[in-house]
Amino acid sequence: MGTENNKGYPKFPARPAPSSSPYASAPPPGIPPPSGGPPTGSDAVGFRPFPPSASQPIRPFTPSGPPPAPQVGAMRPAQPSPFVSQIPGSRPPPPSSNSFPSTAYGPPPPPPPPPGAAPFQRFPSPPFPTTQNPPPQGPPQTLAGHFSPPMSLRPQQQPMAPVTMGPPPQSTTSGLPGANASPSPADFNMAARPGFQQSMPPVTPSYPGVGGSQPSFPGYPSKQVSQPPPMPFQSSQGPPGPPPVSSYPPHTGGFAQRPNIVAQQNLHPSYAPPTSNVQGLVEDFNSLSLASIPGSMEPGLDHRSFPRPLDGDVEPNSFAEMYPMNCHSRYLRLTTSAIPNSQSLASRWHLPLGAVVCPLAETPEGEEVPLIDFGSTGIIRCRRCRTYVNPYVTFTDSGRKWRCNICSMLNDVPGEYFSHLDANGRRMDMDQRPELTKGSVEIIAPTEYMVRPPMPPIYFFLIDVSISATKSGMLEVVAQTIKSCLDNLPGYPRTQIGFITYDSTLHFYNMKSSLSQPQMMVVTDLDDIFLPLPDDLLVNLSESRTVVEAFLDSLPMMFQDNVNVESAFGPALRAAFMVMNQLGGKLLIFQNSLPSLGAGRLKLRGDDPRVYGTDKEYALRVAEDPFYKQMAADCTKFQIGINVYAFSDKYTDIASLGTLAKYTGGQVYYYPGFQSSVHGDKLRHELARDLTRETAWEAVMRIRCGKGIRFTSYHGNFMLRSTDLLALPAVDCDKAYAMQLSLEETLLTTQTVYFQVALLYTASCGERRIRVHTSVAPVVADLGEMYRQADTGSIVSLYARLAIEKSMSAKLDDARNAIQQKIVKALKEYRNLHAVQHRLGSRLIYPETLKFLPLYGLAIIKSTPLQGGPADASLDERCAAGFTMMALPVKKLLKLLYPNLIRVDEWLLKPSADHDDLRDVSNRLPLAAESLDSRGLYIYDDGFRLVLWFGRMLSPDIAKNLLGNDFAAELSRVTFQEQGNGMSKKLMSLVKKLRENDPSYHPMCFLVRQGEQPREGFLLLRHLIEDQMGGSSGYVDWILQLQRQIQQN
Amino acid sequence: MAWDLLLWIISFFVSLALVASVFYQVICLTDLEADYLNPFETSTRINRLVIPEFILQGSLCLLFLFTWHWVFFLVALPVTVYHAMLYNDRRYLIDVTEVFRAISFEKKFRFTKLGFYIFLFIMVVFRLTLSAVYSFTEDDDLLHLF
Repeated sequence: MGTENNKGYPKFPARPAPSSSPYASAPPPGIPPPSGGPPTGSDAVGFRPFPPSASQPIRPFTPSGPPPAPQVGAMRPAQPSPFVSQIPGSRPPPPSSNSFPSTAYGPPPPPPPPPGAAPFQRFPSPPFPTTQNPPPQGPPQTLAGHFSPPMSLRPQQQPMAPVTMGPPPQSTTSGLPGANASPSPADFNMAARPGFQQSMPPVTPSYPGVGGSQPSFPGYPSKQVSQPPPMPFQSSQGPPGPPPVSSYPPHTGGFAQRPNIVAQQNLHPSYAPPTSNVQGLVEDFNSLSLASIPGSMEPGLDHRSFPRPLDGDVEPNSFAEMYPMNCHSRYLRLTTSAIPNSQSLASRWHLPLGAVVCPLAETPEGEEVPLIDFGSTGIIRCRRCRTYVNPYVTFTDSGRKWRCNICSMLNDVPGEYFSHLDANGRRMDMDQRPELTKGSVEIIAPTEYMVRPPMPPIYFFLIDVSISATKSGMLEVVAQTIKSCLDNLPGYPRTQIGFITYDSTLHFYNMKSSLSQPQMMVVTDLDDIFLPLPDDLLVNLSESRTVVEAFLDSLPMMFQDNVNVESAFGPALRAAFMVMNQLGGKLLIFQNSLPSLGAGRLKLRGDDPRVYGTDKEYALRVAEDPFYKQMAADCTKFQIGINVYAFSDKYTDIASLGTLAKYTGGQVYYYPGFQSSVHGDKLRHELARDLTRETAWEAVMRIRCGKGIRFTSYHGNFMLRSTDLLALPAVDCDKAYAMQLSLEETLLTTQTVYFQVALLYTASCGERRIRVHTSVAPVVADLGEMYRQADTGSIVSLYARLAIEKSMSAKLDDARNAIQQKIVKALKEYRNLHAVQHRLGSRLIYPETLKFLPLYGLAIIKSTPLQGGPADASLDERCAAGFTMMALPVKKLLKLLYPNLIRVDEWLLKPSADHDDLRDVSNRLPLAAESLDSRGLYIYDDGFRLVLWFGRMLSPDIAKNLLGNDFAAELSRVTFQEQGNGMSKKLMSLVKKLRENDPSYHPMCFLVRQGEQPREGFLLLRHLIEDQMGGSSGYVDWILQLQRQIQQN
Repeated sequence: MAWDLLLWIISFFVSLALVASVFYQVICLTDLEADYLNPFETSTRINRLVIPEFILQGSLCLLFLFTWHWVFFLVALPVTVYHAMLYNDRRYLIDVTEVFRAISFEKKFRFTKLGFYIFLFIMVVFRLTLSAVYSFTEDDDLLHLF
C-alpha cells in the first residue's frame, strides 16, 4: 500500500516506510518494499552505483566499443566508469558526455563554469570544454552528436557571458565595442545570443548616439514608428530654464545596445562622462533616465518611452533552443532559467525563485503529448528517487544500466527495455522512444498505481432554487446548458450524474433508469442530514438519460413559483458529500444568496467601513466559519472537486464559499447581479466549458528536482497532502500552480538542475495515466546571468499569488507594499551589480528580461483583489477575482493584468473584402487615457470582459452602423448585436475572434460612450493602469517612486 | 497536611497528562512532516486533544490560585492567558487545509509548551515529595533528620 493514491482514499493507511516515495509502485503484500530507504550495506550489491574500482574489472569490452578516439567516442558505451578515467586537466575526456550528472564522483569539475556551460556536457564537444581554450577552429568536430550546428555552438557562447557584463570603461578606443572583449569567438557568439540580436550593427567609432536614432525602444518595438518622435528635453519639463541641451531624446536605450548606452550616457545633461571612457562599454542592462532638471520639479522624462508589454507575453525561448528536450514553457516556466549555485547567491536574488506549472495546458494541433504504454515492463523509474525515465537519463554499460539524471543513481535496464547503444552512446531505438526524446510524455499507469478501479467521470449539481434563482433566470439557463452538454460530457458511457436542489429544504431526485420521471424527495431536517435512499441519487448518465432530460426540462418550471428566500447551503453540501464520497467527482454549486440555514450559515459582514484599515481587515477575506475549511478538506480527501458559481448582487460571502473551491482544486465563477438576458451567454459558455473540457480526475501532482534544492512552498488552488504532494481532485487545462524553491545545501556542485513534474491522474476514459514534464536548467555562479535568464511572466505570476495570499492575512496596504518592496529590492541589487563599473547617475536600470516587471508590479497593485480601499471593489468581487487569479496560467494572468487596448474605427472603415484580416487591429495601445482619441472606437479586452468605448466625436455613421437605431440612446440599455451591415459584421467577427483566442472564459461585451459617468469610469477608466487614479499612482509616478526607493539606502 | 498532599498528587497527574498530551501532539506533527501521517489524520488527532488540554491547564492554574500557591499560579498564568487568547481568536485548532504552512510555527509552539510543562512537572514532583515527606513523618522525626 505504498502508492501515492493510497492516501486519497478513505482508509488513509500510514505510510510503510519513511523514505519510500509516494509514487512507489506497491509491492505485493507481504514483501518488504524494495525501495524502502536508501540502499544500505546488505543490498548494496544490487543498489549502489558501482564503486569505481569495482567497475574496472567488469568493463565489458564488447565489440561495439570502438577504440577510444576522443572525437568520435564522446558517448562511448564501453566505459562504464567514466569517473575513474578522467584526469583533471587532461584533454577533455570523452566519457564526460555520458556521465553528465556524475560530476559528484568525478574529478573536481572545472571551476563553476560561466553560466550555462552545462549544456556542454550534453553535447559531445570535447575540443573546447572551458574558457581557457582558444576559439575553436570552427565547429565541425563538435558535431559528432545529433544536433545542428547552432546547437553545438551554443555552449561556446557561454564563456562569453562575463565579458558582456562589463569590462572596465577605459578599455579600448576601438570603435567596435565588442572588440575589446575577446577575439573572434565573440563575434559568432553574439549572433547566437538572443539578447544580442540587434547588437552588432556596425557603429561609428565615436559618439554613436548623437543622432538619437536608436534602432529600437524597449517598450515600443513596432509602435514607435506611428508615435510622434520623443519629445525633446526642453519641451517636456517645467518652467525654470534648463541648461540648454541639444535635442537628444532623453529616454533610453535598447536591448543591451552598446551604442545606445553610450548615446544615452552622453545625453544626460546632469551626467557627462568623458567620452573616451565609455567607448567600449558592453552592457546588458536597460535604463530609463529619470533625472529631473536641476531646479525643476517636473521630472524630465518621457513616459512614452517606458517599456510596455504591447506584444503580450513573450516567453523566454533561449533555453528552449539550448535544451530542445525540455518540456514546452506552457507546462513549466521557471522564474529564472539559471539556478544560483549557492545560498549566498540565492539570497542576493530578491525575486522569487520557483516555477509556474500548468500540467495539462492545452496543446496546439499536432503537438499532442505522446502516450506511452510500457506494458509488462513496468514504468521505468529510478529506484532511489522515483524519477521517471526521461530524455536526460544516460545509458551506460552497453545499455544495461541507466543513470538517473536527478540523483545519479545507476539503475538496471529491464530486459524488455534493453537496447544496444550505438557508437555515440545513444540507444539504437531512441527514435521509437518518445520518453527519451520528448520533455513531455504521458505514461499509462499499471494497476500498481491504483488502489481502486479508476473512477468514472462524475458530475454532481447542487442547485439553489430559492426565489432569486428563478427570478434571475439562472435556473433556466443552467438547466438548458446542462441538458445541451449531456452529449459532450467526457467519459461516455461511464459518466455519472446527479442533482440536489435546495432552498430551506433539500430536494433529492431519484433518477433510477426504470423510472420515466424523476422522483423528488424532500428532506426538511437540516440538523441531522440523511439520504432518503441509498442509491439512484447518482446515476449512470447513459442508462438514465431520459430521466435526466425529463428532470432538466421540468426543473425551471418546478420552482418557478417558489417564494422561499432561505438557503440551506451547508446541509445541502453535506448531503452532496454523502452522496459523492464513495467515488468522488466534480461538484458544481450554484449559489444565489448568502447561506442562511443550518450548518455553515453565514452572516453579513464587510458592510462596516470602519473595519478597513485595521488589523482585523483581513478576516473579511478568509472563510468565516471553520465549517467551510473542514468541508473542503473532507472533499479533497474523498476526491471531490468543487466549482462554485455565485450569482447574487448582494453579499454572498465568496470568501467563505470560495474556500471550498480553493482547497479542492476548483474555480469560482462570479456573476454579480445575474440576469439571464445579460449574463446568460457568459454563463452558458463557461458552464459548458466547465462540463466538457478534458478533466483529469483523482489527481496528485509532485515536482521533483535535483539534489540540493527543494520546493518549499506552493501557491494556488489545491490542498497539500504531504509536504510536496498536491492533491487535485479534478484538474484541467485552465489551472496552473506556482511553487517556490530554496537551496538546501550551501553550495551546489552540479552544473545543471533537473525538474520533473509528474501528475498521476485518471483520464475520463478510465485509464490511469502519469503525465511527466522534464526540464533542465543550468546552475550559475553569477547574479547577472540569473537576471539575464529571468522570466517576467512567471515572476509576475508568483508575485500576484503571493500578494493575494498576503491579503488574506494582512491589510491590503501591506500586501501592496510588500510587492513594491520586493521589486525595489530586486532592482536595487541589480543596480549595485552595475553601479561599480558605471556611473549610473539618476537612471533606473533594469535587466532586459525584466523590463516589464515594474509595470506588471503596478498592475498587480491595481488588480481587483488588491486595489484601493473598500469603495473600489466590493468584497465579493475582490475575493472572486482573487480565487480566479490564484489559478490562472501565466499568459492569461498577464493579459488580465495588462489588458489589450486596440483601436478599431479605422480598421472598420477600411474597405476590405476579407473580414479575417485581423492583423491590422492587433496594434495594442498603452493603457492610458491619452491613448483614447475621442474620434475613435476602442476595444478593451482583458480576457474576462470586452469593453467597447465610443469616443464622443466618433463619426455617427459608425455608431449607427454598429448599433442600429439605438446609437444615440444611453449605451447601458443597448444590446450589442449584429446589425446586418458590413461594418457590424466585421466588428462581430473581431469580437468573436477575440473570444476564441481564449476559450476558458467568455468575455462579456460592454458598450460605453465617452463621458458616460459613472459607467465609463467603472468599466474602463479604472482599468487604465498607467493613469493616476484615486490614491494610486500612475506609471510615471510609480517609476519615480521605485527609483527613489532604489537610491535610498 | 493531607489536603496539601492531595493537591500535589492531583497536580502531579494533571501536569503529567499535559506533558503527555503535548508530547503526543509534537509526535503527530513530526510524523506529518516525515509523511507517516496525512494532514487529515494529523489534524483530527491533534484537534481532539486541544480543548481538553486547555481545560486541564486552566483548571490547574485555578487550583493553584484557590489553594493560594502564588508562585505556581504565576508560573501557570501566562500559558493560560495565551490559551484563552487563542481560543478567543479561534486559532486554537490546527487548520487542516494549511497545515504545512503552519507546521513550523505549530511545532515551535508545542516544543516551547512541552518545555514549560516539563518544568512545571518537575516543580510539582519536588513539592509532592516534600509534602509527602512532611505528611508521613512526625514533626519530631523531622527534627531528627536535620
